[in-house]
Amino acid sequence: MNHAWDFAAILANWQVLWVGLQGTLTVFAATVTLGLGGGLLVGVCRYAKMPLLRLPSMAFVEVFRNTPVLVQIIWFYYAFPILTGVEVNPFLAATLGISLNTMAFSAEIYRAGIQSIEPGQWEAGKALGMAYQQTLRRIILPVALKRVLPALTNRGIEVFKMSTLASVVAYIETLNQAKLIADLNFNPIESYTTVALIFFVVLYPVVQGTYILERMLRKSE
Amino acid sequence: MEWNFWAVLSDFDLLLLGLVNTLKVTALALTFGVPLGLCLAVLRLSTLRPASAVAAFIIEFFRTTPPLVQLFWFFFALPILIDVRMTPFIASIVTFSIQSSAFFAEIFRGGIQSIDKGQWEGGKAMGMTYAQSMRRIILPQAVRRMIPAFMERAIELLKTTTLVSTVAYTDLMFQANDLAQKTFRPLEVYTVVALMYFVLIFVLSQLSIRVEHRLAKSGDSTLR
Repeated sequence: MNHAWDFAAILANWQVLWVGLQGTLTVFAATVTLGLGGGLLVGVCRYAKMPLLRLPSMAFVEVFRNTPVLVQIIWFYYAFPILTGVEVNPFLAATLGISLNTMAFSAEIYRAGIQSIEPGQWEAGKALGMAYQQTLRRIILPVALKRVLPALTNRGIEVFKMSTLASVVAYIETLNQAKLIADLNFNPIESYTTVALIFFVVLYPVVQGTYILERMLRKSE
Repeated sequence: MEWNFWAVLSDFDLLLLGLVNTLKVTALALTFGVPLGLCLAVLRLSTLRPASAVAAFIIEFFRTTPPLVQLFWFFFALPILIDVRMTPFIASIVTFSIQSSAFFAEIFRGGIQSIDKGQWEGGKAMGMTYAQSMRRIILPQAVRRMIPAFMERAIELLKTTTLVSTVAYTDLMFQANDLAQKTFRPLEVYTVVALMYFVLIFVLSQLSIRVEHRLAKSGDSTLR
């Protein structure tokens, strides 16, 4: 334990890390929006009575929940272009992999939320002459979404951590930039410790916020 | 575009070797991670403030930092700090044991806290110490309730072990990368490997759902 910690090279290269952090935030913003937004659609379809809607969404959820997200990212980067002829850059591969994975996971969260609503609510909507969609939109979803909010925030936290996987296909994000600094300055300890701290500092308050949110919602129910 | 699985199938033994290594890492990380998680949970629940605070910090730190960052830290940084010979295998086991232990600790904590207070009082009334009550009364009931959450976490762990390929440990993902480069058949290789993961994880998930249903019937589950 006689390593002399020296963060000078990190501080001198803060701009490199800053560029990386911007990359992390970009991929996070894209994947969390697509993932949690698309997940609602899949979740509603997963709950639908029509087999034409239910079965494909079920298959989608099972496939993307039961394969590792890294396999998905790499598949989209190396295999998907051969299959479709579409050129895929690192950003697109990471976004596709993480978004689809998140859609599958959040679809199950939304479905659980919808299922947790008492059947009486559906009947009340029907009695008022509302169509299925109207009942869903006006009565069921507002309550269901409130109930699953903590689970969704947890998913968001997972997505933020998952963004580091984009470095595997050489997308420029925080971890990738730290690796660059570590290779050039021979300071892996300081570089990777800094990245770990960055993630901790960003996510710790969010996690604490989630706990508070959970407690508040439990009280209001 | 023409699918050609011949190259993949003729080297299928390489993928099977990778699969064995994936299972090995998962099993070892579970072996160390579960007891370590229990220790963290007991510390976290202890009335001794400093012990509880340290455990809480360790748990939160490993839950809020990405596993890939942790893996890089243990592989590239730790050997400089404590002068050990680090191999991809050891780095993987260490990382995923500690990483999963943080999650297991929270499962243990939830399980232990879900046990009725009267059970503790019962133990005390019988003249048992804290440790005795924990071992003989609380944990046996708590563990039963935690099984579904455990299985879910173990499956998550299995999926996360794909990261070890980035430090060149020869798991299924690494073997896939290797084979894709050698055969120039990334489409077939990665599709087959995705299928292998799918079949493995799907079977395990179904198993865990079945166990969960059975426990839910008997009222023993803390999952949701």
